[in-house]
Amino acid sequence: MGKAMYAGSSSPEVPEEIRLLCMLHNIGATTPEKSLSLPEIRDWTAQEISTVQPQLQNLMSLGYVESSKTEGVDKYHVTLDGIRKVLSMYS
Amino acid sequence: MLTWEFPPRIVGGIARHCEGLAKALSRQGHEVHVVTLDLPGIPYYEEIDGVKIYRTAAELGHPNFITWTLLFNHFLEKRMADLSKEVEYDVLHVHDWLTAPAGISFKHFLKKPMVLTVHSTEYGRSSLHSPDSYAIDGIEWWSTYEADKIIVTTEFMRREVCDHFRAPWEKVKIIPNGINLKKFPESVDRGAIRRRYGIHDHEKLVLCVGRLVPQKGVEYLIKAVPRVVQRHHEAKFVIVGDGWLKSHLEHVARSSGHERKIAFTGFIPDSELVALLMSADVLVVPSIYEPFGIVALEGMAAKVPVVATQVGGLGEIIEHDKTGILVHSRNHESLAWGVNRVLSDSGHSKWLIENALEKVQKTYSWESIAMKTVKVYKEVVG
Repeated sequence: MGKAMYAGSSSPEVPEEIRLLCMLHNIGATTPEKSLSLPEIRDWTAQEISTVQPQLQNLMSLGYVESSKTEGVDKYHVTLDGIRKVLSMYS
Repeated sequence: MLTWEFPPRIVGGIARHCEGLAKALSRQGHEVHVVTLDLPGIPYYEEIDGVKIYRTAAELGHPNFITWTLLFNHFLEKRMADLSKEVEYDVLHVHDWLTAPAGISFKHFLKKPMVLTVHSTEYGRSSLHSPDSYAIDGIEWWSTYEADKIIVTTEFMRREVCDHFRAPWEKVKIIPNGINLKKFPESVDRGAIRRRYGIHDHEKLVLCVGRLVPQKGVEYLIKAVPRVVQRHHEAKFVIVGDGWLKSHLEHVARSSGHERKIAFTGFIPDSELVALLMSADVLVVPSIYEPFGIVALEGMAAKVPVVATQVGGLGEIIEHDKTGILVHSRNHESLAWGVNRVLSDSGHSKWLIENALEKVQKTYSWESIAMKTVKVYKEVVG
């Protein structure tokens, strides 16, 4: 919904990592119990792991995503700040 | 009441609107059930000030926004189906398109009237730029078609809904947004609050509050900074809110040559926002699309002079040079003129504040808005 919101204006498009954040949110990865591994995120978003991984790192540095280790696997979920970030686009 | 946002799940103005209306209806003796979406860490059911709040988890998700919306509507429907076994509802009140599919299904299932409040339209927000945008526009049309009555908050929105969706004029009622005046204390420790944001006693605090998305026009305010600083070197700008445009706006601020004059706070809690509003020297609402503009009302209630663009509802809330200053939208020079006008004349600003507060107290109390809403409910219940 946010992409190129205002046709004809000079506003930039939604950054790729924010689009990934929206997808993680919409998939439902919003709590540690519902967190997703990199292969799961790749399958849901149809993007390569090499594309997704740096975006996740960026989102984690911004505090919008957290990672946790489950049975030795890194899994990712959207934080409360991340949820707010996503919701700010949807209204 | 069906809404996708209800405090503490706050996206935009809808959450506060639903909370204010629900609590006022409850105070007036009506039984109000709010069905909404969950937020991690918040109970799935609670009763606050007589309002029963049912928060629902979308147990299935999808990366596509529209599909996700349809999925959570399905789970809202399931929740309402369970509730309807125990409660007999008289009227369904749906807020915006996001929960309309569930509301429409339920209207037909229960054979009860549906009232729809249109807070904004996709047409107004985005000019229908993509397939998703057209889909949202279609759902919005469908919801206005199915609604027994439509509530909008301003004359501007009534025209938009009637023109764009071809809704009959008499089907659309105007009931403004409200404001809870009790949340504004008589006074706050202005100095302490300003210091928290790096504002010294001799400096002027220019405040802007809103989601950081293009429709809020924050970029124009940042571009106005040099013209304001030229006349008021002591001015500092605090921008409250978050959104996908934030990094771009930070870049614009850095490019303005006045980066040190501009602070971005991100999201701040409601109580802190009230304190900050009450500590500001001027509140700027630089929107380029604003169906209502509740932040302007909050400024008026917080006794801070408001400078706003003359778009949408803002032009109806504010009377130029009487309850605030109206300026041209998408025009940083005009914005700078408005801010300078307020900062240059403290006597006039005080007069604006007094007039604005009187208008807010008279027109925008939730009690009066709840009474008008009940009148609409009675019309559809028959």
